[in-house]
Amino acid sequence: MDQNIGVYLCSGCGIGEAIDFDALSGVAEESGVAKIYAHACMCGAEGSKVIRDDISSGAVNCVVLGACSGRVKSEIFAFDPMQTIIERVNLREHVAWCQPAGHEDTQAMAEDYVRMGIVRVQKSTLPTPYLEALDKTVLVVGGGSAGMQAALDAAKAGYSVKLVEKEPELGGHMAKWHKCLPLHPPYHEIEDIELSLTIQEIESYPNIEIFKNSTIEKISGAPGMFDVALNNGGATHRVGSIVLAAGWKPYDATKLGNLGFQKIPDVVTNVQIEEMAKAGSLTCPSDGKVPSVVGFIQCAGSRDPDHLPYCSAVCCRVSLKQAMYFKEQNEETKVIVFYKDMRTPEQAEEFYKQVQKAGVIFVKTDTSKISVNEGSELKISVETIDELLGEPIQMEVDMLVLATGMQPTVLDDPILNLEYRQGPALPALKYGFPDSHFVCFPYETRRTGIYTAGCVRQPMTCTRSKNDGTGAALKAIQCVELTSQGKAVHPRAGDLSYPNLFIQRCTQCKRCTEECPFGMYNEDIKGTPLPHPTRCRRCAICMGSCPERIISFNNYSVDMIGSMIKSISVPDEYEEKPRIIGLICENDAFPAVDMVGLNKLQYPPWVRFIPLRCLGSINLVWIADALSKGVDGIVLFGCKFGDDYQCHFIQGSELADTRMSKIKETLDRLVLESDRIRLEQISIDDYYRIPQILEEFTARLEELGPNPYKGF
Amino acid sequence: METRIPFLEVSDAIVMSGAETLYWCMQCGLCTGSCPWRLVPGEASEQFNVRLVQRMGQLGIEGFESENCLFACTTCRTCVDRCPRGVDIIGNIQGMRSMLAEVGTIPGSLKPIVGSLHSQGNPWSGPREKRTEWTEGLSIPTFSEDTEYFLFVCCTSCYDIRSRNIAKSVVKALRTAGISFGIIGAEESCCGESIRKVGDEALFQKLAESNISLYNGKGVKKIIVTSPHCLYTFKNEYPDLGGKWEVYHYTEVLADAIKSGKIKPSGDAAGRVALHDPCYLGRHNDIYDQPRELIESLPGAELCELSRNRKNSLCCGGGGGRVWMETKAGERFAELRISEALDAGANILATACPYCITMLEDSCNVMGKSDQLKVMDLSELLAEKL
Repeated sequence: MDQNIGVYLCSGCGIGEAIDFDALSGVAEESGVAKIYAHACMCGAEGSKVIRDDISSGAVNCVVLGACSGRVKSEIFAFDPMQTIIERVNLREHVAWCQPAGHEDTQAMAEDYVRMGIVRVQKSTLPTPYLEALDKTVLVVGGGSAGMQAALDAAKAGYSVKLVEKEPELGGHMAKWHKCLPLHPPYHEIEDIELSLTIQEIESYPNIEIFKNSTIEKISGAPGMFDVALNNGGATHRVGSIVLAAGWKPYDATKLGNLGFQKIPDVVTNVQIEEMAKAGSLTCPSDGKVPSVVGFIQCAGSRDPDHLPYCSAVCCRVSLKQAMYFKEQNEETKVIVFYKDMRTPEQAEEFYKQVQKAGVIFVKTDTSKISVNEGSELKISVETIDELLGEPIQMEVDMLVLATGMQPTVLDDPILNLEYRQGPALPALKYGFPDSHFVCFPYETRRTGIYTAGCVRQPMTCTRSKNDGTGAALKAIQCVELTSQGKAVHPRAGDLSYPNLFIQRCTQCKRCTEECPFGMYNEDIKGTPLPHPTRCRRCAICMGSCPERIISFNNYSVDMIGSMIKSISVPDEYEEKPRIIGLICENDAFPAVDMVGLNKLQYPPWVRFIPLRCLGSINLVWIADALSKGVDGIVLFGCKFGDDYQCHFIQGSELADTRMSKIKETLDRLVLESDRIRLEQISIDDYYRIPQILEEFTARLEELGPNPYKGF
Repeated sequence: METRIPFLEVSDAIVMSGAETLYWCMQCGLCTGSCPWRLVPGEASEQFNVRLVQRMGQLGIEGFESENCLFACTTCRTCVDRCPRGVDIIGNIQGMRSMLAEVGTIPGSLKPIVGSLHSQGNPWSGPREKRTEWTEGLSIPTFSEDTEYFLFVCCTSCYDIRSRNIAKSVVKALRTAGISFGIIGAEESCCGESIRKVGDEALFQKLAESNISLYNGKGVKKIIVTSPHCLYTFKNEYPDLGGKWEVYHYTEVLADAIKSGKIKPSGDAAGRVALHDPCYLGRHNDIYDQPRELIESLPGAELCELSRNRKNSLCCGGGGGRVWMETKAGERFAELRISEALDAGANILATACPYCITMLEDSCNVMGKSDQLKVMDLSELLAEKL
């Protein structure tokens, strides 16, 4: 496409008072653009009509809009991405609102942003979306609470569903249980489990195909074109996206010998209690008698660094429910619950009160230190410190129930058996739950198009699992719809670009195939990357990883950012006006810098921010580009990393940090100080720190003196 | 530390004795933090932790039985009002005391009280026939079918010389207001409120039955009481046993009489009057405004509120049977109340309960403040101005 660039400059919202528009237009003119137009309110009917008319007349096919942040008014400035390239130059939040009006340094900053915006457009081409992944079937793995709900909701929304269940019948754990927690006001009574209607509805639903007694042998392909092989030996099934609702398994109680399990016959688990209650009677395994006193030990192996360090969220409520099983069987049965903390969120507090009113005795204690032995009068003796009494107590019970926690079924079985270069399983967090951006984006996993729901994702109740099923089904539907249109899913939803590899120059170094957080690349036998475009989230971490710089996008490339850096005007060393390049994450740091403007905070005028899709897309050559251009310092703003990371692409900022540790080599080659580069972790609410960080960085650069490469 | 062995049979017995909400308690400790014993030093303050006492009850563990532990509770109801779980803490305390009373293990100081109630129908060891001694020279009418109100005078104001003035003052005010009332006389028995709180349920039942059959037999429909304790039990406990009457504290009746202009106080200026809200008038019966209206009706009276007032009023220390037990000087809530009244700049500390009068006046004297502060019942204050 021959580019006809139109530069549209808005002087509203204080921009016109801060910046000299004649001089700014002059900068655009130097770039040889087709049109320059200024208006006092570009987002108004008159201003935006000028742009639309220019586009429809063919006078302009590339728009550089110097106005407010690209994060606002996006609907007004939305043009057909297949016809028009648009770049939003943020003159408002990033210049006019954070710099003194009319100052020459403010003007220089605005001019650099316009230069960079024009270069960005010049280095972009129109997209050629990937339109070959068209299947919209949703595969649901697991027929428990979450899976059944996901299947039903996807089917009701008009999508074909394939539901795979390893057991002979649907229902999951619920089908094996006696009763469930109170579901209706006033939340006082445990309730019967009603599953048959749901199962009947699913089994008779026209667009749900159910595979019972089935497991997954292999899944290959990518969103919109997954091929699923089941263990029944039949043909593969093509699906568009996947909901994994494979549920949980109880923590292995044989590891809880300290609490008497397998040493004393009447020490049982909460799962066994459900089975016994479902079978009709709660009796001591040793002699078949109804117990006179029953104890429950909460956090049996939970919140315990030697076992499960986390809380399984439901065990407190389950024990309250099971305590009522015993009271319903015989009102005279004494029930004692030994607990660390009773966790009864939502309406469960009402139920907790009811159970207390039924006379169940609660003993607050460190349950990991309880001593369980054979009893003298009753079968089991429990000795512990009652923290509320402040003294040790010894109580005897006939039966002791261990409230064990939950672990994801994927802990030691990949279940999905993905044919991915990075392995058959979903990458997991430290406790074995599939990794997901747990702060902001539930259901997401590190495999595009595969969403988790229910207890495989995190411990939760049946009610929440059902809600989870609904949520994951919606994500799965979003995925097949966007994928079929060649668009990216979350977080760059709608992006039509995908990585292009100039494969002839690939050295099979495997950095891209290893570093992609989403496993987008498989490999051929030689190690050449085999991209699966619909697995891609467009973070461009691969682009940053590639030492040969052969990976690019139509609207994002190593050359593009490098050229933008080179386009800025760097004053010579005698002017004492340093220059700082800020390479910042577009997801958190960029809006944080917007907030600096919104709050009218000021920072040194030397910095030029360039948003990156992810800090992980940073390529070391940009650092060299900047330093050889005479830029004095480079600041990198990425998301928080570590176990509780906030990176939208999971590992991007952490990878950037690793790469920066290697930058010293480059600096040594250039004979430069490593302090000229600084990486900061910035959350979206850290905006107030930004001016201080930049002031400190500027002060340090002043100590170091100007970049000796200035003027070369 | 010695390992304790819970006896759940004991907790069952406590629940059976009336501690019906014992297991509702989640042991948060708000009760202990709200308890007035935290404000004073001494044995009871150190030993009585109402949260812990209930914990011991829940587990059936002994060690709470002493006069300065389980029997320290004045049933002031501050904790009950604040409990986030709606636990009837007084009911639990009463249940635990009751279990002890059944086997005769109540504190020694209470034994003569029990004896007197059994034999004379009053806790003050006064002969039954002298119940009306205070009426001498007043020619108080005897209650009959034609009388509107039966005036029930608290045993304390029948027998205690100081307290008799309250009975006399109430009578004077009621007469001035032209209210039709009468007493029954020596056949009346103690209302039993405090002995029930002490845990002697059987004795309470006996007293209540005797009163109910007496009053019903005389055709009582409406009662005026002089003590908020009698008000509490007549109003809230007797109906279940067959005693269903309209029951009023004298402050309610007299506040009405003032509003309707039947009484017009006059005379010297009353000065700065502080009001001590009795627990059983306030928190137990929700009467806060009428006592204030009485004070405000007095000529030249300036009501000065104590720092702890209305729902936050601080107990005098006399409820729950404590009026019959010894609390050492320096450890009494009433002393704090006297100081508060002085801090408020009052020259009169008024209240409307014979127990409160006893406790407050005693402390005022012990503290040597009786020249600065006069402790008076509201009825006395009013009667002076009629």
